[in-house]
Amino acid sequence: MFKQAGFVDIELVADTGFNSSPVTKGALFRATKPVISIVKEKEKVMEDSLSKYKEFFDQTYAEGTLDRKTKHLIALGASLAAGCEA
Amino acid sequence: MELKLAPEDEKRIEQSIRQKYTKVASSPEGHFNYPTGRAGLEALAYDAERVEALTDNIVASYCGVGNPFTLMPIRGGEAVLDIGCGAGVDTFIAASMVGPEGKAVGIDIIPEMLERAIQNLHETTFKNVTFQLTSAGNLPFPDESFDMVISNGVFNLIPDKTRALAEALRVLKPSGCLMIADQILTGQLQADTKARIESWFR
Repeated sequence: MFKQAGFVDIELVADTGFNSSPVTKGALFRATKPVISIVKEKEKVMEDSLSKYKEFFDQTYAEGTLDRKTKHLIALGASLAAGCEA
Repeated sequence: MELKLAPEDEKRIEQSIRQKYTKVASSPEGHFNYPTGRAGLEALAYDAERVEALTDNIVASYCGVGNPFTLMPIRGGEAVLDIGCGAGVDTFIAASMVGPEGKAVGIDIIPEMLERAIQNLHETTFKNVTFQLTSAGNLPFPDESFDMVISNGVFNLIPDKTRALAEALRVLKPSGCLMIADQILTGQLQADTKARIESWFR
C-alpha cells in the first residue's frame, strides 16, 4: 500500500506492545517520500526543451498568410534542395 | 486487498468512529485495551521532560497506540502534520521539538476531539500549533508543505487508506518521512464486507 502510494524505504520498525485486541497488534511504520532522482530531473529538462520545440514547430506551420499545405511544400522543397535526408 | 466501500458504508464507519471518540474526548479511560493517559505515555517511553511540560489534564487525554517519535528525529524549524491528532498530545510533543521556528498542525474529523485539543492548547504556551477539522483524504495543504507527517492509532480507522496515503505523500517534502503507529491485523481478514464493517473497531 505504501509502495503503491509512491513511498520508498518502507519499514515496519517495531511492535509497540499496545494491542487493541487478540487479533491486532500495535506496530510502528516508517516510509519516506523519494527525492526526484537525477534521471528524472534530466527527463524533465528534456521534456521542457521538447515542448518548446513543439511550440516553435506548431507556430511555424500554423495557418497564416500562407496555408499549412503551402508551408509544408516550401519546407519539402527546401530540404530537397539542401540534400537533407531526414 | 483494499476494501471497496460504498459511500453509505463510509458514512456508517465515520458515524461509529464519531460515537466512540465523542466519549473518548471527555476521557479515554476505559475505552481501550491498553494504558491511556500518563500510564500510556510512560509505557511507550515518551520523552519524560516533554511530557512533564504538559498539564495533567492534557496528559490524561492521551490514547495513542505507539510512540511515532521513536522512528525519526524531528528537528527545530520543521513543519509537522499530525493526522488524526485527537486531543493533540502528539501535536504538542511535535511542537516542543520543532520550536518557535517550526510548526505543528493537527487534523481530525471528530469535532469533540478537536474541541478537547483546543482546550488543551490553552493550557500550553505554544504559539506554533494549529488544529483543523478536516479528513485525511482531502488535506487542505499545498504540495510539499511538511517535513514530517505523523499519525497514531488512526490509519486503521480510515476507510480509504490508499487516498489518505496519497495525500500524505503529496504534502510531504521530498525525503520527508511518514511515521505511523497503528494496529495491524494479525488474525484472519473477513471476506464478507459487512462483517468487516461491523468489526471495524478492534
